[in-house]
Amino acid sequence: MELRLITQDNVTASFGLSADEVIGERVGTGASVPTLRLYTYKSHCGLVGRFQNIQNELRLDFCKENNITVNRRPTGGGAIIMGDGQLGLALMLPGHAEDTYSRARDLMLTLSEGIIKGLNELGVNAQFYNKNDILVNGRKIVGTGIHRAHSGSLLFHASTLVDLDIKLMLQVLNTPLEKISDKQVAAISERLTNVRRELGRDISVDEVRQAIARNYATTLGVELVAGTYTADELQAIEKVETEKYLSDEWIYQTSSVEDKFGGAKFKTPVGLLDIRVALAGETLKAAYIGGDFFAEESAVAEMEAALRWQSSQAEKVSAALAKVYQRREKDFNGLPLEAIQETMLKAIGNAQLVETRENANPYDPAA
Amino acid sequence: MSNTQEFKIGADLYSIPADRFYGRDNHMWASHDNITGNVTIGMDSLGLASLGDLAYVSLQPVGTKVTRGESLGTLEAAKMTGDLTSPISGEIVERNDLTVRNPALVNQETYTNGWLVVIKPSDWENESAQLVSVDELPAWVDSELTRYRQQGWID
Repeated sequence: MELRLITQDNVTASFGLSADEVIGERVGTGASVPTLRLYTYKSHCGLVGRFQNIQNELRLDFCKENNITVNRRPTGGGAIIMGDGQLGLALMLPGHAEDTYSRARDLMLTLSEGIIKGLNELGVNAQFYNKNDILVNGRKIVGTGIHRAHSGSLLFHASTLVDLDIKLMLQVLNTPLEKISDKQVAAISERLTNVRRELGRDISVDEVRQAIARNYATTLGVELVAGTYTADELQAIEKVETEKYLSDEWIYQTSSVEDKFGGAKFKTPVGLLDIRVALAGETLKAAYIGGDFFAEESAVAEMEAALRWQSSQAEKVSAALAKVYQRREKDFNGLPLEAIQETMLKAIGNAQLVETRENANPYDPAA
Repeated sequence: MSNTQEFKIGADLYSIPADRFYGRDNHMWASHDNITGNVTIGMDSLGLASLGDLAYVSLQPVGTKVTRGESLGTLEAAKMTGDLTSPISGEIVERNDLTVRNPALVNQETYTNGWLVVIKPSDWENESAQLVSVDELPAWVDSELTRYRQQGWID
């Protein structure tokens, strides 16, 4: 099979998202060929997940004042910032009607493999984690999401952090932080990483792009053919861009699922545990495990990653925490699992008590 | 014929009520009310076992005409978004806004309070014949589980 490769830089959010949706849909009907897009967006834009309440996820005033465009992806997940340091990927493949719901879980692994192998080839120890995250030693480096188009085809979206201005990200994403301090920037940088930081050199976005493209050819067993859009595709993309991705109706739509935020503290024998959570209904969007205890940051980050976009039901949360703890117990330096579980459940309980429109998602920026 | 068809995935036990019809490919259930003639639609536990916990659901408004196989809404689970496809054609006469506000209901009370829409069918007699009926249920569940295992996502 041949896979068309389209590379682009400085793309507007509305065009890029429209191109992904249109080609994704057309691949399902056979009107377009299977395509891999590897692109960067015009610096900068803030993109929310398909159903998120944008006013809760992004600081819209800051975005407006600083010419940061905002838009909504057709794929799921959380809010992200995109620009010339973040490599966007859209893989559009035909699907099968009978797979509508099946394989949803392991599709992510198959579709992410080209990125993981590409990063590995460059020397970055990226690994697939918990069904939909790509981490390096517990720190997030790639965010992913899948949309199954009406025609049955698949659109796989990913953003790879080649570089990231954490301070700007905190200004764009709506966090409960009044002031963005060095301490908070440092805390975030323990939970996120990027290719340049991992390699300790100023690698170009294009070098990362080429490595990822090569590895998609290998992992999918396809031949990459450099190409561009057809006239028909461009016409369809422009139509959907105008009607959807430039319309307030799409960008500013709201969800009936309530965003909630809560926290809880607990004094353990080895220090204070301070846990904060952000929920969308009963789904955990983000969890932050902080305090003054001494633990390996990557183990804490891994525990937080295990909860992202998972159910907040007590037994599921406790089981997810226990699974990470069992694997990395010594890295928690005597911080008891039971204390983490109880404080986490209390924070979730508090969030469910106090429903607020305020979002608290500072620790899951590259969702 | 027992009232439910049970199956296990890992340690989790699932049951599929044998009092309604099922979409062969889209894993939506359809329960026909003999008095009103209307059909309540939801997702089945095989589909949900594959998808995981739903984070968001959106549904077409009451009054929308839907066609079998076409979208009656969209969903997000574990960062995957996609259409909820209708197992039958007709007009949406009721929508469960409780599931829109709290999609976890679909996972937790799949065959009761987790319903999605009620449709006034336009061709129930013909279209229901294409759905999985009570008689076919055990064989269909078995074949779906076999397919899932072959695809490698359950043990």
